[in-house]
Amino acid sequence: MLNAKDISVSYGPKQVLHGLSLTAEPGTLTAIVGPNGSGKTTLMRALTGDVDFSGRITLGDTDIATAKPYDLAAQRAVLPQATPLAFPFQAVEVVRLGLRGGIETNDRLALTALSRVGLDGYANRFYQELSGGEQQRVQLARVLCQVWRPVVSGVPRWLFLDEPVSSLDIGHQLTVMQIARDFARAGGGVVAVMHDLNLSAMFAHQIVLMQSGRIIGHGTPAEVLTDAQVSRAYGCDIRTSTAPQDGGWFMLPQSADNMEPMPAAQSA
Amino acid sequence: MRRRTLMRALATTAVACALPLAAFAAPYDTSRVVAIGGATTEIVYALGEQNRLVARDSTSTFPAAAEELTDIGYMRALAAEGVLSVQPTLILTEPGAGPPETISVLEAASVPMVVVPAPFSTEGVLTKITAIGEALGVPDKAQTLRDQVKSDFDTLALQVNQSDGAPKRVLFVLSTQGGRIMASGSKTAADAIIALAGGINAIDQFEGYRELTAEAISVAAPDVVLMMDREGDHSSTAEALFAMPEMATTPAAEAGALVKMDGLLLLGFGPRTPQAAQALHDALQGQG
Amino acid sequence: MMASDTAALPFVDRRTTARRAHLWLGLLLVLVSLASLAVGASGTSLWGALLKLAQGEALTLTERVVLWDIRAPRLVMGICVGGALAVSGAVMQGLFRNPLADPGILGVTTGASLGAISIIVLGAALPAVVQTTLGAGLLPVAAFLGAWWSMLLLYRVSTRAGRTSIATMLLAGIALSALFAAFSGVLIFLADDMQLRELTFWSLGSLAGASWVKLSIAAPVILVSVALACTLGRGLNGLALGEAAAHHMGIPVERTKTIAILAVSAATGTAVAISGGIGFIGIVVPHLLRLATGPDHRGLLVNAGLLGASLLLVADMIARVAVAPAELPIGILTALLGSPVFLWILLRKRGLVDM
Repeated sequence: MLNAKDISVSYGPKQVLHGLSLTAEPGTLTAIVGPNGSGKTTLMRALTGDVDFSGRITLGDTDIATAKPYDLAAQRAVLPQATPLAFPFQAVEVVRLGLRGGIETNDRLALTALSRVGLDGYANRFYQELSGGEQQRVQLARVLCQVWRPVVSGVPRWLFLDEPVSSLDIGHQLTVMQIARDFARAGGGVVAVMHDLNLSAMFAHQIVLMQSGRIIGHGTPAEVLTDAQVSRAYGCDIRTSTAPQDGGWFMLPQSADNMEPMPAAQSA
Repeated sequence: MRRRTLMRALATTAVACALPLAAFAAPYDTSRVVAIGGATTEIVYALGEQNRLVARDSTSTFPAAAEELTDIGYMRALAAEGVLSVQPTLILTEPGAGPPETISVLEAASVPMVVVPAPFSTEGVLTKITAIGEALGVPDKAQTLRDQVKSDFDTLALQVNQSDGAPKRVLFVLSTQGGRIMASGSKTAADAIIALAGGINAIDQFEGYRELTAEAISVAAPDVVLMMDREGDHSSTAEALFAMPEMATTPAAEAGALVKMDGLLLLGFGPRTPQAAQALHDALQGQG
Repeated sequence: MMASDTAALPFVDRRTTARRAHLWLGLLLVLVSLASLAVGASGTSLWGALLKLAQGEALTLTERVVLWDIRAPRLVMGICVGGALAVSGAVMQGLFRNPLADPGILGVTTGASLGAISIIVLGAALPAVVQTTLGAGLLPVAAFLGAWWSMLLLYRVSTRAGRTSIATMLLAGIALSALFAAFSGVLIFLADDMQLRELTFWSLGSLAGASWVKLSIAAPVILVSVALACTLGRGLNGLALGEAAAHHMGIPVERTKTIAILAVSAATGTAVAISGGIGFIGIVVPHLLRLATGPDHRGLLVNAGLLGASLLLVADMIARVAVAPAELPIGILTALLGSPVFLWILLRKRGLVDM
C-alpha cells in the first residue's frame, strides 16, 4: 500500500503542497485530478521521490526518501509527461531501457510491450520520427517492461503515470487507460495524474481532487465528483451526470455557458 | 641544458685529443652531416665542406644551393625517424633543437651531435666557426675563415667608431600582424646587430620580443625602424607602417626611415654578420 | 502512420551490429597498428626485423631504435590518446544528453591546456618537494586538474534540477574556453624564449613526443579511466531519458555523473598533457558510430575507443609520411579530416542529430 502522510513541498519560499495525506491500495487505480497549478504534478513528484518533501511516504515497507534507486526501481515504474531523447534511439531500444531498470530478463518482452501499446511493427522506427502520441506510448511500453508482472512473490508493484493520455487520440486514450486498469486488476497499484475528468471517472477506483496544494476530495468518483466539488475546484460552474446505458459518471462542460466569476481558485 | 654542456664538453675534448695526433683527422665520421640552424649551414658552406651535407633544417636557406638539400623540418619540432631516415653520421646544430624526446632518441641511436654555441656577438660568430671546423676535421680552413671574419669585424668596428653624429635609435619590428607591433627588447639577435652597426636599440625595458603598446612607441622615439624583408610581404611597406597611429608621432615616421634586410643575413650571426652590420651601419648613416 | 510498411520488414537488432562492430573495429585496430609499426620516414622494415628475430639474428642499432624507441611508443601513444579522446567525447555527449558536447568544444581541453601551460611556465617556481615527488607526472596531473575543474564548472553552470540547457551549456563552454585561453595568454606572455618554444611545439598537437618514460605515467592513467568510462554504458543509457527517468529506472545518477566527470577529466587531461591539442576525434567518432550501430552506450563506448585509436593512428601515419623527413602537426590533420565529416553529418542527418 502507498501511504503518504502530512506531505509538504516548497519551491523556494513558495509552499506548493500543504501537509496533505493520502493512501492508495494495490489492486486499484487512483486518479489525481485538479485544475492547473493545484499541485497534482508536485504531489506525483513527491510520491516518486523526485522532490524534497517533509512528511513520510512509504511504498509497502519501503521509505521513499531513503530507499536505494534500484530497490525502488524494482517496485515501481514512472511514466513522465514527455521525454525528449538526445540520441537516435529506435523504439525497441527505448523500451529495452526499461527492461534493464526492473527485474525482468526476457528480452522479447520489449516487442510484446510495444504490441501491447498498439505499436506493432514500430520496433525499428526512430523515436524522434514518431508523433508525440506514439512517443508517449513507446515510453509507456518502456515503463510497463520495468514492472511487467503486477505482483511478484506476493508483493504488488506500482505504476505512476503523469498525464498518460494527454497527447493521445480518444482511441489510444482508452487503450492506455485499459492497460492501467488491467494492471490494477491483476493486483498492481496505479497512481495517475489526470486532466480528463471523464476518463478518470470511467477508469479510476479512487479519485483525489486537489486545489491550491490541498486535497479537497478523496474517494470513489461518485463521492468526489459532485457538482459542487468540481465547480469549486475548477472555478467554473460544472454539471455532472450519469450516462444512461451503464450508469457511469460524466461531465458536461456545456453547462459552463452560464459561468459566474469564481475568484478564489483562479488566483491559486 | 645539461645535455648541451655535456655535448660541448665532449666535442672540445674529442677535438683536443685528436689534434696532437693528426691535425687533419676528423673526430667524427663526417661523410653524412645534417646541419641545423641557418648560421651552421652557412659556415659549413663558407668552409667549402658542403659536399658532406645530406640534410638541413627549414631555417637553413642560405646559400641558395642549401635549399636543394633534404629538409628535415623546423629545428624545434624535429621528427626522430625523419632525421634518422637521412642516415646521418653527424648532426651539427645550434642550441634549441628539439623536442627533447627526439634528441634523446637520436642519442639512443648513437648519432653524434655537436651543439654549436650561439651567443649573439663577434666572439660568438668566431667560436661557431672554430667549433664547426673542428667537428668537421678542418681546423686550418676554419682558422682562415675565422681570421677573415675577424678582420671584417675589426674594419667594421673602426668605421663605426669613426662615424660622426649621434648614434641612431633603432626600433626592430618583428611583425605588425593585426596592427600589433612586436618589437625587440634587449638580449636578442636584433639588439646585438643594432649595437654592432653602431645604433642604439630604442627599446631596453624588456628582454626578448614583446608586443608594444602605442604609447611605449612614442616614448621610445626611434629614428629608424628596422624590419626583416619577407618575400611577398606587402603589409609592411613604409607607408602602411608609418600610417599606423602609434607610429605616426615618431621621428622615424617623419623621416620615413624604414630599413628592411634579409632576416637570415640580419639575425643569423653567421659568417656574413660583418657584412650585415656594415650594410645596416651604412643604411643608418644614410637615414636622417 | 504507415505501420503496414514497417511491419513487413524483419526486425533488426542493432545490438548485434554493435557486437559485430567490436570484432571488425578490433581487427581494424590490429591492422592499423601493424601498418603504423611498418610505416616511417626511414626505410626500416618491420618484416625484415621480425624475420631477423625469428632467425635468431641481432637487429642493427638503427632498426632497434626506429622500431622500439620511435615507432612502438608512438603506436601505444596513438592508441591511448585516440581512444581516450573518442571515449571522452562519447561519455560527455551522454552526460550532457547532447551530441555536440565534446571536450574540445566545451573548454575542457582548454582547461587541461591551462594546467599544462602553468607547469611549463611556472613549474620552476613550485616547491622542490612537489617537483621531485611528481617529476614527469607534474604536467599530466596539472592538465587533469585543469580538465576536472572545467568539467565541474561546466556541469554546475549548465545543469539545473537535472536538466541540461543546451544553450547554456554551449555558452558556458565558450565563456570557459575564453577565460582559460585568456589565463593561458597571460602565462604565454610571461614565458621566456625557451618556454615559448616548448609551448608552441606542444600546442600544435603531435605524437612525435612519444617516449616510454612519458607513457609509463600516462598510459596507465588513460587505460584505467577509459576502462572506468566503458562501465558507464547502462548509466548513460538511462541518462539519455533525463536524470529523473534514470533515477526511476534504478540508476545511481549522482554516482554515474561523478564517475563520468572524473574519467573524462583524467582521460582528456592526460591525453592533452602528452600530445597537445588534438581536435575532432571526440565528436566525429561517436557520431559515426551512433549512425552505424545505434546510440546504446554499452556497445558505443568500446567501439568509440577502438575507432578513435585507429583514426588517430591513420592521421599520424599521414602526418609523418606526407612531408617526410619533416612532419605535419597531427592536430591540423584531425581537424582537416574531421571538420568536413562533421559538416557532412550535420547536412545529411540533421533529423537524427537535432534534438
